Parts: sequence; structure tokens; C-alpha cells
Amino acid sequence: MNDVVVVGGGIAGLLSAARLVAQGAKVTLVTFGVGGLQLSHGGFDVLGYAPERVDRPFDVLDDFIAANPEHPYAVLGADAVRLGTDFASEFFGDRLVGNDGRNWLLPTAVGALRPTYLASPTMVNAEARAGHDPVVVVGLQQLKDFQAELIAGNLVKQQIPARAIVLDLPARTHEADASGLTYARAMDRADYRADFAKALGKQLLSGEKALIPAIAGHHEAAAFTDLQTRLGAPLAEIPLPPPGVPGMRLNEYASRRLQDQRVRWILGARVVALHSEGGRAVSVDVATSGHLTKVRADAVVYAPGGFESGSLSLDSHGKVLETHLGLPVRVPPGRLIGPDRRSEQPLFRSGLAVDDQMRVLDDADRPVYPNLFAAGGVLAGAMRWSEKSGEGIAAASAVRAADAIGDLA
Amino acid sequence: MSAKKDPKKLTEAERQERDADRRERLVTSQQGPKVLTLNLKEPDIFAAQRLNRESLDHCVKCTICETQCPVAAVTPLFSGPKYVGPQAERFRHGESVDHSLDYCSSCGICTLSCPQGVQIAELNSMARAVMKADHMPIRDFLIGETVLMGKAMTPIAPIANAALNNKPIRIVMEKIIGVHRNAPMPTAQSQSFVSWAKRHQPAKPATRGPVVFFHGCAGGYFEVQTSIHTVEVLEHLGYEVIIPTQGCCGLAQQSNGLFTQARKTVRKLCDQLRAAGKDLTIISSSGSCTGMLKHEAHEIMGVDDPALIDVGSRIRETSEFLMELEDEGTLPHTFQRVDMTVPYHAPCQLKGQGMGMPAIRLLELIPGLKVVESGQACCGIAGTYGLKKEKYDVAQAVGQALFDMVVDTNPDLAVCDTETCRWQISKSTGVPTVHPISLVHRAYGLDK
Repeated sequence: MNDVVVVGGGIAGLLSAARLVAQGAKVTLVTFGVGGLQLSHGGFDVLGYAPERVDRPFDVLDDFIAANPEHPYAVLGADAVRLGTDFASEFFGDRLVGNDGRNWLLPTAVGALRPTYLASPTMVNAEARAGHDPVVVVGLQQLKDFQAELIAGNLVKQQIPARAIVLDLPARTHEADASGLTYARAMDRADYRADFAKALGKQLLSGEKALIPAIAGHHEAAAFTDLQTRLGAPLAEIPLPPPGVPGMRLNEYASRRLQDQRVRWILGARVVALHSEGGRAVSVDVATSGHLTKVRADAVVYAPGGFESGSLSLDSHGKVLETHLGLPVRVPPGRLIGPDRRSEQPLFRSGLAVDDQMRVLDDADRPVYPNLFAAGGVLAGAMRWSEKSGEGIAAASAVRAADAIGDLA
Repeated sequence: MSAKKDPKKLTEAERQERDADRRERLVTSQQGPKVLTLNLKEPDIFAAQRLNRESLDHCVKCTICETQCPVAAVTPLFSGPKYVGPQAERFRHGESVDHSLDYCSSCGICTLSCPQGVQIAELNSMARAVMKADHMPIRDFLIGETVLMGKAMTPIAPIANAALNNKPIRIVMEKIIGVHRNAPMPTAQSQSFVSWAKRHQPAKPATRGPVVFFHGCAGGYFEVQTSIHTVEVLEHLGYEVIIPTQGCCGLAQQSNGLFTQARKTVRKLCDQLRAAGKDLTIISSSGSCTGMLKHEAHEIMGVDDPALIDVGSRIRETSEFLMELEDEGTLPHTFQRVDMTVPYHAPCQLKGQGMGMPAIRLLELIPGLKVVESGQACCGIAGTYGLKKEKYDVAQAVGQALFDMVVDTNPDLAVCDTETCRWQISKSTGVPTVHPISLVHRAYGLDK
């Protein structure tokens, strides 16, 4: 197998491409817009709730699989989840830490505690599993997406001694309302880090950990460590709603690395057709400006994301569609929409059915094509956000699909 | 304008022109708030523009566009594509609600990055045309007259170049016209491409059939060498290169909000290119003009002329075309070694064509040649944006990371696919900057 087309630039597409490149394949990655990894919290989930909070995901995986036979983890098997997670851990290197069997428990921008399996090293000082050191939550007057008092108040409710302070420290002059990204760009500069450390240092009590919004540098990898050193106290970032930098850092690292490895990168174009010959997929049509561009493929990894990416949609007749190629969608039986907002919404378990090689299946459980594979959020059977399983599914299915393509060769 | 002619006897083109003018007057002459009226009887022109407006409902506020915008990254003067685009558009109804819109450079990186298909840059360009309609600076008319500039400068090339490099003259120019004294300017050539082409004889007979070459204004008067290299490479590959008489694509007018003029200009060009032969591939080394014909004229100005759609579907940027040959297995690999590492920058308006970066694949077919991609969204110039005295500093700040990268990678040569970006890069770095075709020309042994 030589030429592989990967459709989608989220974590499933990125990791498929990475695995395929490592096998020596020539990869074209087509992504309509920047992938969703940028929008993530910057960690890597395997299993956070099942449905109670999970402390050691791999210890409960077999039970979870037994209870959820339609779940992608059940199709893949626990070993594949392990393999995918290890591959992601290796790929992202020291940008993600953990992988010791335990979930981190880290505060969010509303002061909830959220489990995740691999975390940004800039966040782990906020770990709440262990002791409860006093923390100071540091807000910024000009950053409205991070309300320090709300966060501190909610942490106190969870027995974490917390107080809030707010610094008046604009990222750019005359800007009353700045995003986390604007702050992170300012933090790339040593002079701004010095100002920030000085302003915060004045209010920091001894023995306190400082929890700041995730702004400790965008391109400057040493910004966090430098800031912590200047401060002389443990520091941790709390992820922000988009535009938050932790997801951007991972996405930019992965995209850049793959482009440097000469993955042919087609940004800003939809894949609109899949062509077959003799029962096999042979090419895709990419809607480049002005005309369609045909890209030849010995195999296709289809990883365009789910509802949130516009790849699945519910029409006014109640039919769930795969919007780009019209592939057969597996929809759970019964009511799709729960009676109220807080109830389970089975609709979101809709998606593509796959065999254990990640080949897309038709309604009769036969592979649509022997060389058409799917990965990530488009797969049927998961509730990724409530389970906190999105990256684990993406990595395991991406690695399995890439390895199956390798086996075809 | 044939306003008094019997409306029933108007040709299609005359009818569309009339309606465009009428609509423009509607926008500019109305008392009180300016309202961009959608004429439902004439869906031709406004169909695409209406779709742009409808696309704003696809915005999920993910802010990806905000993070990718090269202008918002360097200045608070522009509040960012999401605020000015899909958000402000809801309140706009023709009237401008956010004047920071003027600081949008129209690079199109927002639309390129949007995972939901919101036509952010297109909305902003449309809104800016309305906003500027009743106070269009004289400068913005002048810098759109690219052909005129070329025609005037070519016969007096040494004088024109001396004038554009003369500090006192540039200061006067800045004060009177508003073109920044340090902004990059094209270098006038003593011979236009057309006069070269008239005397040019192919080195060998054609074996592959005809293609049409679209040189663009810059390729006709200033970047003459790039045009010559393109023709010589195509002929070397066995093509008969047809060079029809041709005008401007209207991109500079469009980006300055002069839609009525730009629509006329682009329509005329389409007729000229079509006259060269039906169904022939059209090839251009002007990356941004290619984008104008492929999608911008249609998506930003709503031109739904079948002639434009025809030309837009047949045109290929030079590297894109050569890589199509490569993918078909018909591009000869008879390249000589070029032992060099070059920085390569894909211009924003080339990236906006959603075809990836064919120049990288092309150049790396040449043995010994290593390409380092800039990783930067935009060089700052964005056509004519970086020339303007009030935008110059913003444009320089946008390009700074690129300039640093170019100098660090190879202080002797950089590669970039569009003219104004090459001028921007070489002016700001001192590094000579060429179109990818010039390296292909060298590798095929065609440099004399």
C-alpha cells in the first residue's frame, strides 16, 4: 500500500497519518478547516466516567466493554486502546504526561474536577487526587473567560482550600477584552512574564500553588517553566474555552511535524466523492477551488469527526446522514432524543459501524470496500463527551486502521 | 453604459452590467443607512453573496478563525474575523457597525481555516465594499489600475525605477497619495512580456498540444522573467503556448471594494482567455490572479457569468498544473541537480485555493533541492494592503516571522508564488525571491 488518503485533520486523522508515515506510506491528508484538536482541553482522555468517575481506566475497561458491546472500545478490544494510547503518548512526547495507569484529576474553568488520562505538564501541579494544598486562583481583569471567584468557590466546595485574586494586567495596551490566545502571545515575551510574575508574586502567600488560566506561552515552549521559576512557587494552567492554547499547542505540533514529514496537506477543501473500481476504493475527489482534484488512493482512512464537525447530521425527517460521502450510518434503536436536556441522548451514538479492522460496514455488516477505514468521532456507539473517551477512541481506531492498511500491503 | 437602450434588446453582459451599476447606485446614493439591497429578480449577481450571508448561521463560535488571523495577532486595531464577520454581519443590514473591518487584509486565512464552511473573508470583503462606497480614497482607485501602471512605467523603466527608489519622491507620494514611503514597489522592466512573446520562437516543435498562458498584469510588465520561464518550461515539455491579448483580472480593484469596476475587468478578461480556444487548459504563474478567477470573483463579488465559471474551472496555477502531469506520470524527471536549501512561502491567496502546496512537491522532485516551508499564514502585503500608509506597520508586523525565517534559511534565495508577496519578501529581507518555476527552469537546463 503506497498512497493513502486520510480525510480529516482532528486527532484521529493526525494519528492515522503519523502511523502511516511511520510505515512508509505516502499520505495525503485532506481537512476542511483546521482540525478539532485545537479546540480540546489539551489533554488526552481514555475513560473518565463509566458512568461513575474512573480513577484507573485500564482497570475498568473490560467491564466497560462488557456493558457496552456496541462501543468502539468493544469493537477494538482493550489491547487496542492500550496500543493507541501508547502511540499517542510517544507521538506527543513530553507535551503530554502521565500514562501510569491513573487518571489525573484537574480543575476546569468553572472549578469542576475533571479526569483525564494524559495531561499537559503545565497543568499537573493542579492535580487534586493527592493532598489538598492551598491554592490561589489568578484571574485577569481583561480575560472574561476565566472567573477566578467562581473557580475558587467551586474548589472550596470540593474541600480544596482556595482563594481568588484578579490582576489588572492587559496583554496589549488599550485592549479591555482579550482572549487567552492574546495573553499567551504576550507570555511568549520574557518582559511580559517578568511583569506577570512580579504582579502575582506580590499577592502570593507562602505555601500556595498558583492556578492561572492557560496562557503560559503559545510558541515559546519554555514560557511555563520560566514563569514558574520567576514566581518561585508551583504553578498550573487551567484550560480555557476556545481560543485556548493547550489544544492549539498540540495541534500545531502535530500538524507541523506531519507536514515536515511531507504528508501532502490539503487544507480548506472538502472530499466530495469516493470512486471505486472492481469493488475497491481507488480515488477521492477533493473540491479544490474552481475544479475537482482527483487524488489516487490505495486505501482511505475516513476520520471527518461526528455531529460537531458537520459530518453527521439529522435531517427534518429524523434520518441521520453521513454528509460527505453518504456512507451507511448505524443508528441506535428507539427514541433518539431524550425527554430533557439532562437525559441520555441516544442520537449521539449514531455513526459508522466498523469491523475489528476499522473497515466501514454496510447495513448487512459487510465492508463497503475492503480498503475503506474509519476512525475517531465518526464511529458509532460512543458518548465521547460524557464518557471522556474521545482521544482514546480516536487513537485506538487510527492505529488499528493504519496497521490494517499496512497488513494489506 | 447603454441605459437608454430598449431593455429587451440588451445583451446578457450589458444587462448584468446595468444591474450592477444600478445596485451600486442604490448602495451609494441612499440617504441614511446604506442598505445592500438584494435584487431577487437578478439572482445572477447576488446568488453567491446571499449564500455568503446564509453561511454565517454555520458559525459555531469555535474561534479557529480568530486564532489563525495574521492581522488580529499583531494589532488590536482589527477585532478579528469572527467578530467583524459572522457576528457583526447579523447587525449590519448594509450599514457598517464595526469600522475595524477596514483593517482586515482580505488574506482569506479565516475562510480557509473554518471547519464549518463560513465564508468569513467573503462576508468581510462585501461589507467593506459597502462601508467604503461613499468615501473611497483616491489612492484605492489608483492602486487598482495595475495595467495602466505597467504601461506607463515600461517605456521609461530606468526613470520610473529611479523615482520609486527616490526618498523625497516617495515622501511626497506618501503625503499626497497615501502609499507608504517604504512599501515595496514593482521594478519596471524595459521590455514587456508581450513584446518578448512577439519575437519569441519555441526552441522545438510542440508535441503535446496547445495550452493558454495567462500572465496577469504583473507578469506582463514587472515579473516578465517569471512569465518567460513559464512559457519556456511549458514549451520544453512539448506544449504549444497560446498567449492571447489579455487585460487584468480586477483583483486589486476587488480587494479595494471597487466591485463595479472589478466585475467589468474580470468579465472582459474571461472573454479574452476564452477566445484563445475552447476547453484548453489555462495556466498562470500569478497565484493570486488564479484565485480571483477560480473563486474570488464568484464568491466575493457574486459574478455568476458562465464565462467566468468556464475559465475558473480550466485555470491552473503553474505548479498545480505540473503536479497534475506528475500524478499522471507524464512530467519528465530530467532535472539537473540544484544543491540548495530554499525557504518557500505559500501566499495566503494561493492557500485559499484549497489545493495544498503543489510547489513543495514540485520543487522536491529536483535532486538536491531542499524546501523549508515558512509555516506562516501571510507575508502581510495581501495585494495592496501593505502599501497603504496607515496599514504599512501592520503589514510589516504580520510578515516579521516570515522575514526572519527567510533570512535564517537562505539569505541568497527565497521562493514564493505571487508577485506582490515576492516584492514584500525581498524588500523586507533583501533576499531575492523567485517563483518556483524559475527553479524548475534552471533544473531543466533552460537558464542561459
